[in-house]
Amino acid sequence: MDFAFSQEQDMLRESVAKLLERNYDFDTRQELVASDAPWSADVWSEFAELGLTMLPFSEEQGGLGGSIADLVAFAQSLGEHLVIEPYVASTLLAGGALAASGTPTALQWIGKLSSGEVTLAFAYEEGAGTASPEQIAMAADPSEEGAELSGEKRLVIAGSVADALVVVARRSDTGKLGFYLVEAGAAGLQISPYQTIDGRSAATIHFNQVVVQQEAVLLEDARDALEAVLAEAIIVQSAEALGAMKALLTITSEYAMTRKQFGQPIGMFQVVAHRLADMKIAYTKALSTLTYTTALANSGAATLRDIAILKGQIGKLGHEIGEAAIQTHGGVGLTDELNVGHYHKRLIALDASLGDHAFHLRKVGQSG
Amino acid sequence: MNVEFSPELEAFRAEVAEFFATAPTPAIREAGRKTTSVFAPFDQCMEWHQILAKKGWAAPHWPVDYGGTGWSVEQRFIFAEEYRKADLPPLLPQSLGMVGPLLIDLGTEEQKATYLPPILQGLDFWAQGYSEPGSGSDLASLQCRAEADGDDYIINGSKIWTTYAHHANRMFMLVRTDNSGKKQQGITFLLLDRIDYPGMEIRPIVGLDGFPEQCEVFFDNVRVPQSGRVGEENDGWSVAKHLLKHERGGSAASPTLVRYLERAKEAAGKTPSPFGGMMADDPVFQRDFGELYADVASLAHMEKLAISGHSIANDPAFPSLNKTINSELIQRASILMTQVSGVTGLARQLEALRVGSNVEPQGSEFDLITMPLYLNSRATSIYAGSNEVQRDLISRSLATG
Repeated sequence: MDFAFSQEQDMLRESVAKLLERNYDFDTRQELVASDAPWSADVWSEFAELGLTMLPFSEEQGGLGGSIADLVAFAQSLGEHLVIEPYVASTLLAGGALAASGTPTALQWIGKLSSGEVTLAFAYEEGAGTASPEQIAMAADPSEEGAELSGEKRLVIAGSVADALVVVARRSDTGKLGFYLVEAGAAGLQISPYQTIDGRSAATIHFNQVVVQQEAVLLEDARDALEAVLAEAIIVQSAEALGAMKALLTITSEYAMTRKQFGQPIGMFQVVAHRLADMKIAYTKALSTLTYTTALANSGAATLRDIAILKGQIGKLGHEIGEAAIQTHGGVGLTDELNVGHYHKRLIALDASLGDHAFHLRKVGQSG
Repeated sequence: MNVEFSPELEAFRAEVAEFFATAPTPAIREAGRKTTSVFAPFDQCMEWHQILAKKGWAAPHWPVDYGGTGWSVEQRFIFAEEYRKADLPPLLPQSLGMVGPLLIDLGTEEQKATYLPPILQGLDFWAQGYSEPGSGSDLASLQCRAEADGDDYIINGSKIWTTYAHHANRMFMLVRTDNSGKKQQGITFLLLDRIDYPGMEIRPIVGLDGFPEQCEVFFDNVRVPQSGRVGEENDGWSVAKHLLKHERGGSAASPTLVRYLERAKEAAGKTPSPFGGMMADDPVFQRDFGELYADVASLAHMEKLAISGHSIANDPAFPSLNKTINSELIQRASILMTQVSGVTGLARQLEALRVGSNVEPQGSEFDLITMPLYLNSRATSIYAGSNEVQRDLISRSLATG
């Protein structure tokens, strides 16, 4: 067993960390979130220059053949800086679906995605129930041209600004889940944009008989590919969450040792000290499970149950850490001005997406 | 970043499973199934220890020069997993896990030569004399006195919560040799080469589960040789702190927890739910089970990282983190188990639990152990430094960065 990152992975992590330290302090981030821009085009192009948008694709598909451990190595920084750029949504989820497809259309889009020229959205979630792929209701009706999509997708990150959507839909005749590509501006799309509680650009999208040409049908039987793409995104998103948890643990322990009440630092009170200890216990569990699951996945051995354990633990422990951080800060922890609440909102947003901890932990209890 | 799954490892797994399927006697197996504590039934446990020692597998975590196996992390976990799958009694931790590793690190050559071989072979069992009636969490306040007299010490005072002292033939203990300075100074670490010195009295204490697992040990002018001292006189606190590391860290405890959960799940599959169907199909049970299973998985991940030398184990709070997480998971697992047993677990079945009694249990063999395990495991968050003390230590590691 080897749980260490390689030298190259450490270098990658440092490059991303430096980039974000330069461009992404909390105040700058807050200005960005408050602006009309969905995210920073400059930061996104710097991601591309660093090769991040190319990293996960295989060399045959024009990428760098990066591993899951490569992605985890730097993803914690995305959480530490509360990054709002759609790396997981565009590069990993939509990009992962394109890579699994491998059609000429998919390869074209991979090229543009890798260079940073375009962003894509992954239209997967449908609200209550879609944590489980079995519950996907979006219909793909076979037609002469290819297929027609009808239904509703929620929490489509970057959905209103992406150049194209990769849609997960169910063939109405075979019942099989597939990946379908829909370009921005297609007839029959009705997009309601919004910003998420953690500052990301998202949309609810209605599909009213949206025509998908045959060449844009990416994969007709995508059940296994979907699980693989979700698993990779869940691992990377968990690393992002771990970065936020680490930040909260550090910020909160520093605060407890400097904030004085009743004539002494509040961290000297055993009740507060033990809450800090519980935060560290939670963080240690999260770090252990993320590291182990990454190593398993890197060896091609992570099962669906391993992924459910990771997603469940990160969601549950993230809630615990965020809530303890706010309680320890008292009133100031409730303000929009302080970063603490923003880390918490990122954690609960990551928990709720791709199946929350209640869903994943019950799945763990169902299986095996 | 990788986890190895090789044919060699699978062959190793088969070899271990084969040994566990053939080597233990029926009584040893019965003791394993009837283990309701960290401490398995003594006689069969030692018998099994001796069998493992002959195979060379009694102390996988010891350095190879002292009889360890030199296994990889993967092998150590495979061994622990197969061990639990076979429901064999765990070996007692005091000798192999505490005083043995301590002597390897800090003992004199003579102490090592005298004491390590019989520990490894399972011929000796050492009791741990730390806590006193007035010194529990605040261990350093201990008052059991040892006065130097020629080549000897004369001990007066008492020890309590001395697990299995009534089975032990040797004892390691902390005594006060000086009262003048800070309480941590003036403590000395002693090895008692026998436990039947004139003036020693051992009184078992019956616990909530009905068994005399713990003891009180009284010392009335007990004369013991000074050659049993480890480290310098009055420097026993640093020796004890060194040993606590062995007590709290570097473990492979998760396979035991996984096995408890498997047994609970299996029993829940045969237990009707009051809402219809079987308990294992009840969504609330599934959620509770899944949450606990995932937490056990996180402990397993942490243990694997630590044994592999990941930096997580360098954290000064790691032993406390490990102890707190493990002890609370044992308690939660035992609660789930008693829920599955329900009213069937309420029978007090001391005779059926005795190895070799041939008394048919009320309910299943699972129902036989759930309540004693639950009651016994109330101790896990108290012993080896209460979890309140552990949380103090964990929070202190945050204050200093």
